[in-house]
Amino acid sequence: MTLIELQGINKTYNNGQPLHVLKGIDLNIDRGEFVSIMGASGSGKSTLLNILGILDNYDTGTYMLNGNLIKDLSETQAADYRNRMIGFIFQSFNLISFKTAVENVELPLYYQGVPRKKRHEMAMDYLERLGLGQWANHFPNQMSGGQKQRVAIARALITKPEIILADEPTGALDSKTSVEVMQLLKQLNKQQGITIIVVTHEGGVANETDKIIHIKDGMIGQIEENTSHNAWGGSVIK
Amino acid sequence: MKWFDKDTFREILDSISRNKSRSLLTGFGVFWGVFMLMLLSGGGQGFKNLITKEFEGFAQNSGFVFANQTSKPYKGFKKGRSWDLNLADVERLRNLVPELELVTGTVNLWSRKIVRDDIVATFSVRGCTSEYAQIECPQMRYGRYITEADNAQERKVCVIGKRVYNELFPNGGDPCGQRISVDGAYYTVVGVDWNEGSVSIMANTSQCVVIPINQARRAYNMGNKITLLCFTGKEGVVMSDITPRVREVVARAHYLDPTDEQGVMMFDSQLIFGIIDNLFNGISFLVWLIGLGTLIAGVIGVSNIMMVSVKERTTEIGIRRAIGATPNQVLGQIISESIVLTLVAGMGAIVLSVLILAGVEMALTEEGILKAAFQVSFGLAVLATSLLTVLGVAAGIMPALRAMGIKPVDAMRDK
Ligand SMILES: Nc1ncnc2c1ncn2[C@@H]1O[C@H](COP(=O)(O)OP(=O)(O)OP(=O)(O)O)[C@@H](O)[C@H]1O
Ligand SMILES: [Mg+2]
Repeated sequence: MTLIELQGINKTYNNGQPLHVLKGIDLNIDRGEFVSIMGASGSGKSTLLNILGILDNYDTGTYMLNGNLIKDLSETQAADYRNRMIGFIFQSFNLISFKTAVENVELPLYYQGVPRKKRHEMAMDYLERLGLGQWANHFPNQMSGGQKQRVAIARALITKPEIILADEPTGALDSKTSVEVMQLLKQLNKQQGITIIVVTHEGGVANETDKIIHIKDGMIGQIEENTSHNAWGGSVIK
Repeated sequence: MKWFDKDTFREILDSISRNKSRSLLTGFGVFWGVFMLMLLSGGGQGFKNLITKEFEGFAQNSGFVFANQTSKPYKGFKKGRSWDLNLADVERLRNLVPELELVTGTVNLWSRKIVRDDIVATFSVRGCTSEYAQIECPQMRYGRYITEADNAQERKVCVIGKRVYNELFPNGGDPCGQRISVDGAYYTVVGVDWNEGSVSIMANTSQCVVIPINQARRAYNMGNKITLLCFTGKEGVVMSDITPRVREVVARAHYLDPTDEQGVMMFDSQLIFGIIDNLFNGISFLVWLIGLGTLIAGVIGVSNIMMVSVKERTTEIGIRRAIGATPNQVLGQIISESIVLTLVAGMGAIVLSVLILAGVEMALTEEGILKAAFQVSFGLAVLATSLLTVLGVAAGIMPALRAMGIKPVDAMRDK
């Protein structure tokens, strides 16, 4: 069943010199897929992911999410989609520095209007599941990169989203933690059926996913099925 | 989502309290503005009270006449002639100037020798009627004031002023019934007048021994002569309107030029109170101008710093937006932060200035009696607080609008 359906998506940045970044992207992603997007730096991976996450607009084409046309949404509608349907994971974690781990995880529920006590319990539950129970009251600058990324994953999961969008989630991590994070995502995909899209330029990371979408100069190139996890000669991370 | 539930408030408090230096910097402008406004207005008011105190007890619509050397020749008399007021002038004013409520005279003598046992002092003597109490209101610490009967029976009684009392009765206590000698004649003390106004006609009440006027005239062989004519106007009468009429009545009786303002010296309290009122209205206006100016500068400062801080918080706000905050929620948060900051800073300033003003009052309190109230009124504090809320919103609007315009992608880019 198709969850994401892109047709002829074009995106041009117009700061000074117009820059045509996405040149007619057609792409379908089904519910429960675990895919990676690979491509050279500047090929438009992040731009595409931001459009998928309704963080950014596209110029022409259509984007159907779960059967709804995502176009010219009001900021409030977009915020609601992001809050309820989509979880984000970023390379630089993007935790709020003056909030503790558990408070960061709680934040999406705060914007849903979930009462403090309830959301605190839920956040603690998620942190514990990710093995961060005793780090709950630490601030981001008191944690390692891997721990921070797991806090970010807990924050992405807490609203029980259908999709997780991860932009280079292992970019700032060493190989050992990278493997852990990818295992975690894989597990979420397999056990909870969450659709996961990971942008990366590490072959090892991509190899953990079931499908690898290559993007080149703003266009979809090859799409590799990778259910046997043998891409890149079965390469492992780093 | 509600705007002012406990949760929202916690979120705002966290944002403020966990970014202390930013918050302190932001709040300081408002703190200073409110602090100055409160201190200046309390101080200005107190200063006014202090000055007004000097006039305390004086009937607001009173006037006085006393004799002086003439400055104009009249009906064959040369200028520079000396003359005296007398008891008949009291009757004349009563009969001929219907706008007057009350007319009375006093006899004043300066530097008289006052003795009690072995204490010798020099003070003024004032002979007056019971009606004088309506001109300069006595504050009886002990006993009573001069009565009509004292005058009718020419009793040898006296009311002494505060300074007189302190000097003649160094051990304190109620002096009523004790006798003091005034230029050799003995008078029984019947009261102590605590009035301390330093504005005085002829002599300061605190340094006076007050005796019945008839007794004074007899003791000092003054005949019908009096030193001072005192009067009050009826309700609604403007003193300056009747001054020429009063002068004319007195001048005619004594063959003086009715336009001789120096020969027939007059003084009225309305004039002085008017000047003081104007002065303090001016001061109040200045205080508010300066205070409000400082406050507005403070608010602009808050707005500016919030603006910078919103820029600094682009990432934080972007993250909030990415995980589902609506633009309105961001707007609400920034404005609320601004309100809370201005309110807290402003209230702190109110509390501090109230404490300082209380300290000033404490320093000015003598023998448990407060000299002048310096404190800002409760109403002013309430007004300032509501003004602060409005200013908080005003200061928050621009930064909040900017924060609302932050797109999550902008915040996420290049790290
Ligand atoms: N907001 C923007 N304004 C102007 N140009 C932009 C903007 N965002 C991205 N670009 C440009 O668009 C192109 C694609 O950017 P994008 O971030 O999508 O690349 P990417 O594939 O994610 O690269 P990387 O692997 O380095 O992250 C780049 O040339 C980039 O400079
Ligand atoms: Mg990128």
